[in-house]
Amino acid sequence: MTSATVGVRRGRLQGSPLARRRRRVFGPFLAPALILYTVLFMVPTVYSFYASFTSWDGFSNPRWKGTLNYDHLRHDPAFKDAFFNTMKLLFGCGIFLFVLSFAFMLMLREMKGRKFIQGFIFLPHIVSGVALAAFWDFLLNHDGMLNKGLHSFGMGPVDWLKPQWQFNAILLAIVWINTGYYVTILMAGVDRIPPYYYEEAKLAGTNSWQRFRHITLPMSWDVVGTAAVLWTIGTVKIFEFILAFSGSQGNLPTTNQWTSAMYVYGETIGGTSPIYDFGRACAGAVVTLVAVVVVVVVLRRVTSRDRLEL
Amino acid sequence: MSTATTGSRAESAERDPKTPAAAPAGRRRVPWARLPGAALIWVFVAFCAFTFLFILLSSLKSSYNVLNHPFRLPTELKFSNWSKAWHDGGFGPAFVNSVVVVVVAAAGTVLLASPAAYVLGRNQNRVSGGVSMYFVLGLGIPMQIIVLPLYSIMAKMHLIDNLAGLIVLYIVVNLPFTVYLLMSFFASLPGELEEAAALDGVGPGMTFWRIMLPLARGGLMTALTLVAIACWNETFLALMFLQTNDNFTLPLALVNFLTQQQFTGEDFGVMFAGVSIAVLPMLALYAWLGRRITEGLTLGAGK
Repeated sequence: MTSATVGVRRGRLQGSPLARRRRRVFGPFLAPALILYTVLFMVPTVYSFYASFTSWDGFSNPRWKGTLNYDHLRHDPAFKDAFFNTMKLLFGCGIFLFVLSFAFMLMLREMKGRKFIQGFIFLPHIVSGVALAAFWDFLLNHDGMLNKGLHSFGMGPVDWLKPQWQFNAILLAIVWINTGYYVTILMAGVDRIPPYYYEEAKLAGTNSWQRFRHITLPMSWDVVGTAAVLWTIGTVKIFEFILAFSGSQGNLPTTNQWTSAMYVYGETIGGTSPIYDFGRACAGAVVTLVAVVVVVVVLRRVTSRDRLEL
Repeated sequence: MSTATTGSRAESAERDPKTPAAAPAGRRRVPWARLPGAALIWVFVAFCAFTFLFILLSSLKSSYNVLNHPFRLPTELKFSNWSKAWHDGGFGPAFVNSVVVVVVAAAGTVLLASPAAYVLGRNQNRVSGGVSMYFVLGLGIPMQIIVLPLYSIMAKMHLIDNLAGLIVLYIVVNLPFTVYLLMSFFASLPGELEEAAALDGVGPGMTFWRIMLPLARGGLMTALTLVAIACWNETFLALMFLQTNDNFTLPLALVNFLTQQQFTGEDFGVMFAGVSIAVLPMLALYAWLGRRITEGLTLGAGK
């Protein structure tokens, strides 16, 4: 009944003077943003797909070379490292980050000063990754703070940044930087669960694990899903922390520290001797984007299915 | 929220958790079981606080003391670190560049995004729905996809190593998020004011400018702040498009300084002064507009 009347009202509004006036400004209001966004964002996106099938240095015209770039990627150790590291960040770091964030969020809900704590742990998310990398390096360096601290307890210096550990140091830092952000997102989702669900469950004599399993988790599952999508999109942007943390003397980090963004920079204008292989770098970016799209689609599937089971 | 009401029942809960009246206090039953978790959180908080205190305090210490007595408070305040970083370390000009880029890019983004977000948020039809989706699509596209064709375009327009060029790029890459953010703000405004304005013969442009825009002030402020933070810290595009030291923004100056240090011997006091110059404005902004920033950044997740 109400929906019918709303429908009628809307129908009338569509033809009302107000709606007509609004339609008149629709084009002019939208055009500047839409044109700029199309020309300098969407066109380059599409062009990147095209360029990935060409030999291109960014200045002269691209020359078609079919799937050669992609064939090359499959045998390029630098790309394999970059892709594998990105996946390590996405899944390895991601699972750890989400478990930690969810646990923190649950505990924070029952702690005093929760707003204060939330505010504090959010901090690393809004400062420059380069600045944090400088601190992180100073912390873990051979002459760094952690070893100084250990020394005062009579323990020998540990080589925290030895090659096989270095990427783990990066993963740890990324978790540290992002925890506050995901705690806040998950908190917003769980806060929306109506309190009477819990009250009724308590009246039914459930324990806190059962309430978590049957109320909190399923009711916040879609927020977890959205957060996971945000994380997926976010991981492929990780760049400056690694550059500042692992790069040395003007050189890029060694390729075993590379990520997807680093590959694009390194294969084109980055480093001390730029390569300018724009075509292959585009192919690398396209592969990453496709991987992201696949992960996002799967995540959406998984989270929406579980929501239906409720 | 329900903790307050359950608190008074905590004692009875300990005696018999089975009775319905006592059940709500379940979470209070064994407080020490939660202790490791709470301790972990406080360690995390302490580490975050320590990080920023350490950076700020070290910026006032001599390099020797930073390195050898990292945990000691500064014995003397070496403000010369700051002037060294500002003048010799290149952070002064970079700070000015960053401020210019951030102010113009943030203002430009909001100026372009708000009219678009207004018409997209207030018109519920297929066209606006499609265009909204088209903008949202941009949220999922990583920079590395667009950066190389952009490089080619900017090179043709002689906008490489040019701050104006970088500003244009910052506006473009922040459009999707800003349009998305502001759309929901405009959509939530009451329609009656618009109708009243129309009845009074106020034109649609004026309605937007004089009535809707002031009403969306909170949203605009949030958008400005978030774009400013994003641009202040942005490194990838800056690194791709800026080449000479005179044009460097703060993150680049910092990368550059870290690199130089490895050649010329390290002065950690000056390094942390430089780090502070990059970090302090964000801390101040966060102290001032913290709620706005966290809510704005996490807003999208609720939908």
